[in-house]
Amino acid sequence: MPELSAVHHPLYQLRRTPFHARTSQLCLPHNWRRWGGCIAVGSYDLGLDREYWAIRNHAALIDISPLIKYEITGRDAARLLHRLTPRDIHRMQVGQVYYTGWCDDDGKLLDDGTVTRIGEQSFRLTAAEPQFRWLALNAVGMQVQITELTERLAALSLQGPKSRTILNLACEQPVDSLKYFRMAFNRVAGKAVSVSRTGYTGDLGYEIWMDAEDALVIWDTLLAAGHDYGITPTGILAMDMARVEAGLFMLDVDYTPASHAWIPGQRSSPYEMGLGWTVNLDKQGYFVGRRALEREHREGSSWKMVGLEIDWEGLEREYAAVGMPPQVPATAVRGSIPVYAGPRQVGYASTSTWSPVLKKYIALVHVQQPFHAPGTKVEIEVTVEHHRRKSPATVVALPFYDPEWKKK
Amino acid sequence: MTNPDILIVGAGHNGLVAAAYLAQAGRKVLVLEQRATAGGQLAGATLASGAVVPGLHPAGQLRPAIVKELDLARHGLATSAADTAYVSALPEGGSLRLVSNANDTSTIDAIHRLSPCDAARWPEFVGFMNRASAFMDAAYATTMPRLPKIELRADGLPLASLALKLRRMGGKDMFRVMRSLSMSAVEFTEEWFESEPLNAAIAGVAIHGVTLGSMSAGTGFTLIHNWLNRGGLAHRTVTGGPQALTDALLKAVHTNGGEVRTGADVAQILVEHQRVLGVQLTSGEEIRASTVLSSADPRRTLLGLVGAPELPPEFVWQTQSIRMRGSVAKVFVQTDSHHGLPEGTVAIAPTLKYLERAYDSTKYGELSQHPYLEVTTSGAEVAVHFQFATYALRHGDWNSMRPELERRAIDTLGLHFPSFKGSVQSVQSVTPVDLEQSWGLTEGDLNHGQLILDQIFFMRPLPGWSNHRTPVDGLYLCGSGMHGGGGIGGHPGRNAARMLLRGQG
Amino acid sequence: MARAAKAIKPIIGLVPPDPSSLSWRDMKGLLKLGQYAHSLSEHELYRIAKLVTQSSADLLEEWFELDPLKGTKAASGIIGTYLGPRSPGTAYVLLHHYMGEIDGAFRAWGFAKNGTGGVTAAIASSARALGVEIRTNAAVDKVIVRGGRAAGVALANGDELSATVVMSAADPKRSFLQFVDQQHFPDEFVQAIRNFRVRGSSGKINIALSGLPDFNCLPGEGPLHRGAISISPSIEYVERAYDDAKYGNFSRQPYMDIIFPSMIDRDMAPPGHHVMSCFVQYAPYDVAGGWDDAKKDAFGETVIATIEKYAPNIRKVIVGKQVITPQDIERIAGITGGNIFHGELLLHQLFFMRPAPQWADFRTPLSGYYFGAAGAHPGGGVMGAAGKMAATEILKDWQ
Ligand SMILES: Cc1cc2nc3c(=O)[nH]c(=O)nc-3n(C[C@H](O)[C@H](O)[C@H](O)COP(=O)(O)OP(=O)(O)OC[C@H]3O[C@@H](n4cnc5c(N)ncnc54)[C@H](O)[C@@H]3O)c2cc1C
Ligand SMILES: Cc1cc2nc3c(=O)[nH]c(=O)nc-3n(C[C@H](O)[C@H](O)[C@H](O)COP(=O)(O)OP(=O)(O)OC[C@H]3O[C@@H](n4cnc5c(N)ncnc54)[C@H](O)[C@@H]3O)c2cc1C
Repeated sequence: MPELSAVHHPLYQLRRTPFHARTSQLCLPHNWRRWGGCIAVGSYDLGLDREYWAIRNHAALIDISPLIKYEITGRDAARLLHRLTPRDIHRMQVGQVYYTGWCDDDGKLLDDGTVTRIGEQSFRLTAAEPQFRWLALNAVGMQVQITELTERLAALSLQGPKSRTILNLACEQPVDSLKYFRMAFNRVAGKAVSVSRTGYTGDLGYEIWMDAEDALVIWDTLLAAGHDYGITPTGILAMDMARVEAGLFMLDVDYTPASHAWIPGQRSSPYEMGLGWTVNLDKQGYFVGRRALEREHREGSSWKMVGLEIDWEGLEREYAAVGMPPQVPATAVRGSIPVYAGPRQVGYASTSTWSPVLKKYIALVHVQQPFHAPGTKVEIEVTVEHHRRKSPATVVALPFYDPEWKKK
Repeated sequence: MTNPDILIVGAGHNGLVAAAYLAQAGRKVLVLEQRATAGGQLAGATLASGAVVPGLHPAGQLRPAIVKELDLARHGLATSAADTAYVSALPEGGSLRLVSNANDTSTIDAIHRLSPCDAARWPEFVGFMNRASAFMDAAYATTMPRLPKIELRADGLPLASLALKLRRMGGKDMFRVMRSLSMSAVEFTEEWFESEPLNAAIAGVAIHGVTLGSMSAGTGFTLIHNWLNRGGLAHRTVTGGPQALTDALLKAVHTNGGEVRTGADVAQILVEHQRVLGVQLTSGEEIRASTVLSSADPRRTLLGLVGAPELPPEFVWQTQSIRMRGSVAKVFVQTDSHHGLPEGTVAIAPTLKYLERAYDSTKYGELSQHPYLEVTTSGAEVAVHFQFATYALRHGDWNSMRPELERRAIDTLGLHFPSFKGSVQSVQSVTPVDLEQSWGLTEGDLNHGQLILDQIFFMRPLPGWSNHRTPVDGLYLCGSGMHGGGGIGGHPGRNAARMLLRGQG
Repeated sequence: MARAAKAIKPIIGLVPPDPSSLSWRDMKGLLKLGQYAHSLSEHELYRIAKLVTQSSADLLEEWFELDPLKGTKAASGIIGTYLGPRSPGTAYVLLHHYMGEIDGAFRAWGFAKNGTGGVTAAIASSARALGVEIRTNAAVDKVIVRGGRAAGVALANGDELSATVVMSAADPKRSFLQFVDQQHFPDEFVQAIRNFRVRGSSGKINIALSGLPDFNCLPGEGPLHRGAISISPSIEYVERAYDDAKYGNFSRQPYMDIIFPSMIDRDMAPPGHHVMSCFVQYAPYDVAGGWDDAKKDAFGETVIATIEKYAPNIRKVIVGKQVITPQDIERIAGITGGNIFHGELLLHQLFFMRPAPQWADFRTPLSGYYFGAAGAHPGGGVMGAAGKMAATEILKDWQ
C-alpha cells in the first residue's frame, strides 16, 4: 500500500498564495498566520518595527491575495450590488471603488469589503469571508454571473508615502492622476494589472490586482523599482497596527458578522460601526436591511464604535504602584477588554495597540450611549502584574491617524 | 370597477370567499382571474392540448361558518347531510363498503366479517375522528400568529381558546390528537384496527392529495385534515355538483357589490419600497390598489408575481424551499355506462404496503406501477384520481408519459372491475404539468404547498408568515398555501379577510 | 446546526411537563418551557420547529446541492431509526446526533479509550466510590409490588431484594410489560407501552483484519482510517436502503458507518492487525423469514460486498468477522426489539410522549417505581441525561 501521510494530503493543507515562492524565502522567523484558508506572513522580522515604519515612512509591500474576491457580471450586475449593499451602486462610475459593509435583513453586518466598477456591467467585490451563497441568494431572479476569483487573482498592497513614486517607476502608465478610491488598468513588466488607490493602512497606498500567473514577476519588478525608496516586504501584523491607527475594523475581531452570532446581541449594524456614511437611505428600490436601517436611523443606535486613547500618566501611575514602567504590547491585541464609566461597564475594546507614530496606547472600543461622544472620560481595564486595574482614557473620533497625503 | 380598494388575485374558492367577506363589509373588491372561468380547481379547463376537461373535484365542504356568514344557502348552496359510501376494492376481489357513521350497521357488519374486534372499535374510531377534525376545524379558523410575538388581544385570546378546546377534550383525546398528527397512517391505523384491508382503506384517505406514503410521519395529520374536508372518508355531495359551490360564492360576491374579472392574467404585482402599488396584467393594463390579496400559491405569488429582487434574501430562500411536489393526476374516462363500478367513492388501496410502494416511485421520479386510485362516477363518466404521478419525471416528459398514465389507470381499475376495460370509450387526462399550465399551480401542487408537518399551522406557508402578511406591505396571501389550506374549506380566505377587517392589515 | 443544537439542549435537560395536567409541577414545567421559548429569538424558535418536523432530506436540500455531502449528512438522520432520509422527523434525529459535547467542545463526538465500555466502566467506578453496589449476572424477573407500591425485585435465580424505590433502566417493554403485572397499571398505559415502537433496524459487523483496507477514494493509509468512514453516497442511496427495510428485508446496499477502533486504541489488535467496526443500516429486527444463520451470513456477505466496492482489497485482509443483528442486540444487550435507542426516535415517541403520554417525568403509574433509560426522554445515545433526570426526580419525591 502506498504510504500517504496526512500532512501531504491536499484536504489537510492550507493553501499557499501565488507569492509563496518569494515570501517563504524572506519569512525568516517563520511567523506564519492563517488568513482565508491560506498561510500568510505575519512578519518578516522577529519584531514589527521595520515593517511598521515602512508603512508610515517609506513603502510596504503586502501580499493580500487571500482576500476573497468575486467578479460579478451581466445585465443585472449593478442591480445585484445595489440590492446587496446599502450604497447607491447605480450612481457609481466605471473605475470607481466603494468601500461598504453589507447586512442581513435585520440591518446587521455580514461582511465588508470593496466594490470596484470594472465596466458598465462588470464589478469586482472583495470580502473577508466566502459570500457565494449570500450572493447567489440575492441574485435569484436576476441575470448575473458570479465568479469567485480568489485563487485566480493575486493581489499586492503597496502602502506608504513612497508608494506612488515606486509605482510610477514600475508601471507603464503613471499613476499620478489616479484619485483616492479609483481604479485604473495598467501594466507592470508587460503584464496587465489593475491598480486601485485603496488600502488597509490609512496611508497613501495602492492595491495591485493581477493574474496569479504573473505574480512573481510583478513582485520582483516592484521590489526592484522600490529598492532605493525603502520598499519593504511587510507581514499582516504590522498592517494590523496601522489599520487600528486608521480606525479600520476587522471582521470577527471588531465585529461579529450576523451569520456567526450565537445571540442577537453580538451583531452590529453599519451605524454602530461608524459606517453610517455608507448607508444611502435615499437610494431607489429595495436593498437588504433597508427597513431595519431606516428604523435605526430614525431611532438612533445604542452602541457605537469609537477610538480610545489611554492616558499615559494614568497608566504610568498604575505601573508605578508596583515599581514598573508602563508595559504596552508590541503588536495589536485582539481581545475584549472592559471599558467603564465609574463602576459601570459601558463597553469594551476589541483591538488595542501601541501606536508608534502617535506615541499613544490606543484602542477600538464599542461603547453605549451616551458615552461615545468624543472627549468622554472613561476607564479601561489594564492588567498590571496579574492584577486588574483601571486606567483613565478618553474617547476620541476615528481615525487616530490621518496623514494629509492619504487623499492627495 | 374604477379605483377598487382591494384587488384579489385568483378566483378559486378561497379568493372568492375572501372577496365575499370583504365586499360584505363594504369594501370595493375586484377579483382578477387568469382563466376564462372562476372557481379555481373546482372549474374545468381547456388544456394546452385542446382537450376540454371538467373540474377536478367531485365535491367540497365549505365550512359551515362560511356558509352561514355569507348566507350561501340563499345563494343556492345545498350540501347533502347524508354520508357517502366509501368503497375499497379488496385484494382478493370483493370490496369493503364503509359509511363514515358510528352507527351504520351495514358498515359494522362489513367490518365484522374481517374482524369482530375492529367492528367493535369502529364507532369509537368514527367518534374520535369527528372530534379530532372538529378540533382541526377550530384550529383552522384561528389565524396562526407570528411566534413568539403574540399580541395578547388580537392573537392571544383566540389561541388561548383553542388551547382550552384541546384541553377540554380531556387527557386521552388530547394526547391521541397530538400523537396522531405526527404519526404515519400505518402507525395510526394499526393502533386502532387489526384488519389490513380496513387500515389500508383508511390510509388511502390519509395519503390522498399529498406526496407522502402510508409510512410517512404526518399522514396521521393528513387523515384528520382530509376527514374534515370531506366530512368523513368520502366526500359528501353538493347538490348541483362542485359548480354550485362556485356559483354560490360568485353570487355572494356580486350581491355585495364585488366584481370578478375572468381572463385577467396578473403578470406582476407592483411594488415600491416594499409596499404594494397594484398589479399589472399580461395585457399591460395596470390596476392600482393599496391592498392586494393573492390566492395564487405562495411561490407563484412571491417569486413569480412580486419577484425575488423585491424581497429579503432569507425570505426568498425560504420561499424557494416551500415543498411543492405535485404527484396527482386525473384521468377522465367516458364509458358506455357498463363500467361495473359501484356507487360512491371507490378506492384502490388494497394494502398498506401497496400504498407505500405506490409512493416510493415519486422519490425516484417515476410513475407508480401500481397506483393508488380514487374513483367517482357520474352516470357513464368515470373520474379517476391517480397517485402517484410525480411532477418531476426523471425520464421523459409528461407529453410522452400521458398514454402510459391513462393505461395504468385503466389497467389498475380493470384488475378490480373486470367489465371496466370493455366499457371505455374515450379518455382524457390531466397531468401535473397540465395542473401547472392550466390551473396556475406551481409544480402541479394542488395544495399550494405540501401538507407536511413542517408546512402546517404556524409554519404555513413559512415560519413567521402564517398571519397572511408578506414582507411587502399591503400584500396578503389568502389561498390554500396558508394555514387551513389544502382542500375546499375556505378557511384561508375567511381568515385573511377577517384579519384585514379587524384592521390588523 | 450548531445554533439549533444549542437552542434545543436546554429542552433535553428539562423534565417534560404533561400539557394535559393542571398540577403545579406540570404548570411550572410548561411555564419554564414557555419562558425558554420566549428567550429564544424568532429565528431559533422556527428553526427548532422546522427541525422537529422536517425530513432530513428536505432540510439538506434547502442548504446543499452536492449528493455525497447530503447523503452523508442525511445518514445521521436515520441512525437508530426505522425511517429513511425522506421521512418527516429525521431532521430531528440529525440534530440529536449533533448534540454530543466533549470537554466543553459543543457537538464534538469522541472515541473513548477501551471503547464505549470505558465510559460505563468509569461511571461504574464513580458510583462504587460513592457507595453504590453493582451486581452483575443479576437478571431481574419481576418487580415486587406490595400495597400498591414497588417494594423490591425478584431475580431470575429466585433471590428477592427489597427496597423503597425501584428504578428500571431496561427498555420500556421489559420495564412495564414484563417486570410488572398489568393489573398494577391503567389499561391506557399498558396500551401505550404496547404501541411503543421498538423495532431495531441497525446491525453491526465487526471485522478482524490483517491489514488496513485501501479505499479507492483516498488510497493508502490516511486520515480516513483514524476518522469515520460513511458509505452514504447520496440521499437516494440511503433512501433505497430504507425501502428494502420497510418491506422487511435487509438493505441490498446498506448505509454504513465504519471506524477502526484499533487505530485509536493500539492495544486492541496485534501490531499491523486491525479491528474494523461497521455500523450497518438497515437490518430489520423482524426480517422476512427470520434471522437464521443463512440470513446472517447473507447479511454479512452483503456488507462485505458493499465495502468491496469502495475498498477492493478488503477480502484479502479479512481474518474473521462477527455479524450482529438486532436480534443479537436484543439478546446481548437485553433490549427488546434490539433498537439501539430502546425505542424508535419517532416524533410521537419524544419529549412528553416518551415512553408514554403523561408519564414522561420518569415516574410511572406504580408508586415507588421509576423509569430512567434511553426509552425515556430525551432518548438514546451515550449521554446519561435520562438517568440523571430520573435520579433527580426520585430525590425530589424522597423528601
Ligand atoms: C384531484 C384533487 C384532489 C384533491 N384532494 C385533496 C385532498 O384530499 N385534501 C386536500 O386538502 N386538498 C385536496 N385538493 C386540493 C384542493 O382542491 C385545493 O387546496 C383547493 O382547491 C385550492 O383552492 P384555492 O382557492 O386556495 O386555490 P385555487 O383553486 O388553486 O385557485 C387559485 C386561482 O388563482 C388563479 N391564478 C393563479 N395565478 C394567477 C394570476 N397570475 N393571475 C390571475 N389568476 C391567477 C388560478 O387560475 C386559480 O383559479 C385536491 C385537489 C384536486 C385537484
Ligand atoms: C450498535 C450500537 C451502536 C450505537 N451507537 C451509538 C453511538 O455511536 N453514539 C451514541 O451516543 N449512542 C449509540 N448507541 C446507543 C446507545 O448505546 C444507547 O442509547 C445507550 O447505551 C442506552 O443507555 P441506557 O443506559 O439507557 O441503556 P443500556 O445501555 O441498554 O442499559 C440497559 C441495561 O439494562 C440491563 N437489563 C436489561 N434487562 C434486564 C433485567 N431483566 N435485569 C437486569 N438488567 C437488565 C441490560 O443488560 C443493560 O445493561 C448505539 C447502540 C448500539 C446498540
